[in-house]
Amino acid sequence: MSKSPIVEFKDFTFKYKSQLEPTLKNINLTIYEGEKVLILGPSGCGKSTLANCINGLIPFSYPGEIHGSCKIAGNETSHSSIFSLSSVVGTVLQDSDAQFVGLSVGGDIAYALENDNMPREEMLPRVLNSATLVGMQEFLEHVPYNLSGGQKQRVSLAGIMHEHVKILLFDEPLAALDPQMGNQAIDLIDKIQKNNNCTVIIIEHRLEDVLYRPVDRIILLEDGQIIADMKPNELLCSNIIVEKGIREPLYLQALKMAGCNVTIDDNPSNIFDIKLDKYKEKLVSYYSNVDTSKPYKEKKVVLNVKNVDFSYDKNKALDNVSFSINKGDKIAVIGKNGAGKSTMAKLICGILRPDKGEVHLEGVNYLNYSIKELGQKIGYVMQNPNQMLVKDIIKDEVSLGLVLNNKSEEEIEKNIEEALKKCDLWPMRNWPVSVVSYGQKKRVTIASILAMNPEIIILDEPTAGQDYRVYTEIMSFLEKLNKDFGITILFITHDMHLAIEYTDRAIVFADGKCIGDDSVFKILSDNDIIERASLKQTSLYSLATRLGINPESFIESFIVSERRKRHEKS
Amino acid sequence: MKNLNIINLTKGETFLHQLTGTTKVRLFAVLMVYVMMSFDLPIILPLFVFSIISIISLKPHWKTIQPLIFFVVFLNVLNIVLYWLANPLCGLEYTGDQTILFAYTDYLIVTRGTLWFLSIRLLKMLTAFSTSLAFIMSITPSELAAGLTNIGFPYKLGSIVEIAFRYIPDISRDYENIAVSMQCRGLELDAKKTKPIERLKQMVIILIPLIVTSFDRVGNISNAMDLRGFGKGKKRSYYSEYPERRNDKIFKLIYCLIALFCAYYIISGFITPRVPKMWIYWRCL
Repeated sequence: MSKSPIVEFKDFTFKYKSQLEPTLKNINLTIYEGEKVLILGPSGCGKSTLANCINGLIPFSYPGEIHGSCKIAGNETSHSSIFSLSSVVGTVLQDSDAQFVGLSVGGDIAYALENDNMPREEMLPRVLNSATLVGMQEFLEHVPYNLSGGQKQRVSLAGIMHEHVKILLFDEPLAALDPQMGNQAIDLIDKIQKNNNCTVIIIEHRLEDVLYRPVDRIILLEDGQIIADMKPNELLCSNIIVEKGIREPLYLQALKMAGCNVTIDDNPSNIFDIKLDKYKEKLVSYYSNVDTSKPYKEKKVVLNVKNVDFSYDKNKALDNVSFSINKGDKIAVIGKNGAGKSTMAKLICGILRPDKGEVHLEGVNYLNYSIKELGQKIGYVMQNPNQMLVKDIIKDEVSLGLVLNNKSEEEIEKNIEEALKKCDLWPMRNWPVSVVSYGQKKRVTIASILAMNPEIIILDEPTAGQDYRVYTEIMSFLEKLNKDFGITILFITHDMHLAIEYTDRAIVFADGKCIGDDSVFKILSDNDIIERASLKQTSLYSLATRLGINPESFIESFIVSERRKRHEKS
Repeated sequence: MKNLNIINLTKGETFLHQLTGTTKVRLFAVLMVYVMMSFDLPIILPLFVFSIISIISLKPHWKTIQPLIFFVVFLNVLNIVLYWLANPLCGLEYTGDQTILFAYTDYLIVTRGTLWFLSIRLLKMLTAFSTSLAFIMSITPSELAAGLTNIGFPYKLGSIVEIAFRYIPDISRDYENIAVSMQCRGLELDAKKTKPIERLKQMVIILIPLIVTSFDRVGNISNAMDLRGFGKGKKRSYYSEYPERRNDKIFKLIYCLIALFCAYYIISGFITPRVPKMWIYWRCL
């Protein structure tokens, strides 16, 4: 099977105009027609830059220095134009909101055709055709605001699939999707590739989720260089992914923890295809011997939510919700977008107040507190740190909440010193906020909340869009806060890994109702809850089912031994 | 989608909604000239009646447009009062009538002619408003973009309008989120508890992150547009520009006739200056 190359990098080096060092160094890469390739790597490794070289944003929108050659469908990109490239390469951007430039689904799908000045009557059948391919034909008249992230992404995909498009390029397609939608997206990409026989390039750092459907090749980037170009099975059996800070699939982690040495012949790239026979015994004996008993801890209730209802105008957002939170808990609040998670968070913070029912904070009905007073007891950390940072200097940012609450000078000094030290930011206190990394910005926002000495911290998607390295940095920091200072933490998230690795209990929302409140391993082995909350089965569950053992106790054993191992390391 | 907002993003179902963007934009442009060119009551009054009928025919969500209507009527009445205060005899040259109705001081007098003139002035302004309102309610931003392009504006201008409408709700959602987080940190946004100057300062605190995040987004949007060939050719077609139907053709005839009439009226007015027909009823008696 000899196919002609469609993307060809030869000794390609690129340096952004504003930077001193090249971002891509000496890239040699050939992608053939009809291939499906995953480009993997941690944030800042240059994978987005590589994508921009393929779609023409480099050099046409981001000027810089190019050495070597990059040919797309036989044409040197630097001699081409972004327009002629865009008719060959279709790009689905990470931010599906920003990519949705039209005012309706149909209008957005037609956007490229409009720019081609195609007469409307020719446009219509094509728009309908593309929309049908992605399953959005019923939504042509809809406006973007009522669509889910997954639907917006489908529209983006439909908008780039025109007849000349040979390459579909996906920049972090999973970043903004909940787990079930992520699976659907990967599935859709697979179907479209088979249908249209085009080349697919996916840029992601979520290896396991992409491997839900097979890929031909994986390219691993680090520091602007290609360090691996392998078939998925080969890559998974080498140790390279773990060393380079990429998250290993959970089932492989489980296998390796039990001492199984997986080889290429076992077909490890998919949980349903992997050969397990020879490992079964080892796995079962390892996980049935994990001691899952927990030391007894006395629990003190800090927050008690009782039969709470809340409606926006006439839409019921919370329906008879009850749960309680103990001091020192680490809880995951899960559910798809619009399930009521954010409303619940706003309600706990006092921005919204319940229509019916009561919220008690340390035994006191919280209606007695103003938002301002509540803000000192319950801290809320937003998903995007850029939406929280208002001051230039780290120290000023951290003291802002205290200044607004008219605290005395000494108290402010004392509190911010404590908070900055807890967050390991004390040596950086006089740094400008704008120069620190994303993970550090996140820590600054957490420090600014900690400075108020809250009982509970609510974190909205603390790791959204972050690679494994930053994810681990943020999460181990939060774990430390919880362990060393007994701070109660609520994570609003749809990241199953986060829930498994770092929380003890999960509260699950669906359609404004609290449909589950139990330990993480119980929730994750309950099919009904998973279905209703748009979560997905973890590969641990599939692994347990394939081994014929009880998923609940298997997941529990895995969680316990995984944590033990992590704590031994640190 | 119900017409919950004044500006609709999707095409409505009534007669006026169904016209093409180009028809609406041209008609509106002609009508604006028409209403501005004179103080003739026989010219203004029919348009006023028609524009009110148009608004009703668009089946608006009254609750949303009510405050706007009240606000505009209030401003226009205020304008009229100030106009009168500046020159209580302003209607004299138009009506020639000096009959005094009320006299508060030697300066502040209300004459019959002035009152009549000011009423017509108010009617003229309200007609301009109600015509604009009908136009705004009947057109979607995409149709406006298409319409502007078709009457000769560069298409980039129309696209700016369209993009602005696309992202206003996103930005207002960002604003809301930032406000929530700042309130939790102790920012007082309650109007009753803070002085206006304090509130202004606190708004600025919210604006900083809003601007930062919006700029991030602008970069992404412009990339998305580039990648789909925006700006490729000199011309651009529009998905939202429906083909002309029978009603569009009828309206084409109508606005062409009105345009001709306006041209005749304005040019002839230059040649022989005329006194506006104000239907001054007491002269007929």
